[in-house]
Amino acid sequence: MDHLPTAAPFDLAKSKIMIVDDDRINIRILGGILRGEGYLLTEADSGEKALQVYAESLPDLVLLDVMMPGIDGFETCRRLNKNYGDQCAPVIFITAKSESDDVVEGLGAGGVDYLPKPFKAKEVIARIRSHLQNRALSEQRKQLVAQLSKANAAKNRFLGMAAHDLRNPLASIRGLSEFLREGAVGPLTPGQIDLINTIHSASQSMLDLVNELLDVATIEAGELKIHYGPHDLAELISKSVAMTNIEAAKKKTVVTFDTHGEAPILMLDGAKMTQVIDNLLSNAVKYSPPGSSVTATIQFDSTRGTYGFAVQDQGPGIPDGERDKLFKDFGRLSIQPTGGEKSTGLGLAICRKIVEAHGGTITAKNLTTHGCEFRVFLSANP
Amino acid sequence: MKFQGTILLVDDESHIRKYVGLILGQLGTPKIIEAANGAEGVDAYTRETPDLVLLDINMPIMDGIETLRKLKEINPDCVVVMLTSLANRQTVEQAIELGASNYIRKDTSKAEITKALTETISACFDCT
Repeated sequence: MDHLPTAAPFDLAKSKIMIVDDDRINIRILGGILRGEGYLLTEADSGEKALQVYAESLPDLVLLDVMMPGIDGFETCRRLNKNYGDQCAPVIFITAKSESDDVVEGLGAGGVDYLPKPFKAKEVIARIRSHLQNRALSEQRKQLVAQLSKANAAKNRFLGMAAHDLRNPLASIRGLSEFLREGAVGPLTPGQIDLINTIHSASQSMLDLVNELLDVATIEAGELKIHYGPHDLAELISKSVAMTNIEAAKKKTVVTFDTHGEAPILMLDGAKMTQVIDNLLSNAVKYSPPGSSVTATIQFDSTRGTYGFAVQDQGPGIPDGERDKLFKDFGRLSIQPTGGEKSTGLGLAICRKIVEAHGGTITAKNLTTHGCEFRVFLSANP
Repeated sequence: MKFQGTILLVDDESHIRKYVGLILGQLGTPKIIEAANGAEGVDAYTRETPDLVLLDINMPIMDGIETLRKLKEINPDCVVVMLTSLANRQTVEQAIELGASNYIRKDTSKAEITKALTETISACFDCT
């Protein structure tokens, strides 16, 4: 991409470091090492003082002695973490070499590292640089994520508006071409009817695309609302099968539905689940060769105690290595519809989002014979 | 369907006026008046006192909600049906509260728009 959001470059040399130690000599040694690196320093000689200096200077990193009169280093660290949460600067404990238990307790108290005494200048510099860098990178990441989610929200708003403004004119083009086709404004020659049919089907597929884009924009904006109600799953599937058979007949494909005697009443959003069923059925017809048979069945998962359904087709199956694209936005596979139908690459992504919004799962697998099977299972407790 | 009466069609998109106008013509509407925005719609209402107003929501100059308020001021009993598309759900609810009788989705198929207009006309006019 050409226009990735950018964060301001960070300059570690101006980082603020707070040194907390009741031993003035330690502060002087560390101060000497760190000033040479261009860091800005603040000091405190007790835990209580450290909390106060921290609030005033908001350092990027804290060097904290463990053994101090008053509140000790661990407690100071806990309080800093409690007060500043995610924003808290990394705390490095200053420890004597033998205090390995202290190291463990220090890390437990929220410290990120420790510096053993006596100090080795190179080690001090390297460790501090590494933690300052971590902090700067994590800040940068937060900024980038915030920028990206803002950009994504703007994209969805734009997508929604653009798609919405395209709907009405497209619906008019489609409707007006129906008027022409019906001969409402005079008789037509076969050549004219052919052109009008082309206008009609082109505007129809553009409307389908725009509707799917609107669905995606709505879902991504977090506005997908599931309106639960009791629905007879077999009845929903029967209706979808009847609708799909009208289109399927053009390819001499037949869609059949076997309830296995099951007629579960499930809590779901009828309109949205119908969209999922329609999509899986029409995909099955779309990718199966003419004259195929597509089968829908009610399924019961006895281990989870949930109902669902499966759709089997006689198409080429999901090509190896393309499985992860299947349920993604615009995740078009290399296989093509067999009757010149259109694919936006959004249908299955929308299905997945609707099913997941129901707390359910959608999966696909290739059949050993021919074709593939899509399975949807709903949640037992929506 | 035979009925006597006048329908005012207010929409800023000329293709919608043409499209919905053609459907109304097929349904046998004796007189259709068109207006391209709310202000024109209010003028036309005052001049012609139509029996039914089909009113778009998103329009320049004066939008559908403002127009509906004005029409209800002029005649609290005027019959207004909103012409809407998918994303206007909240605005439609507002329109219903302000006294609109119903709404028709204009981004659906010709068959569905025809059905909705037939029902609207049957409810509004004495049809034979």
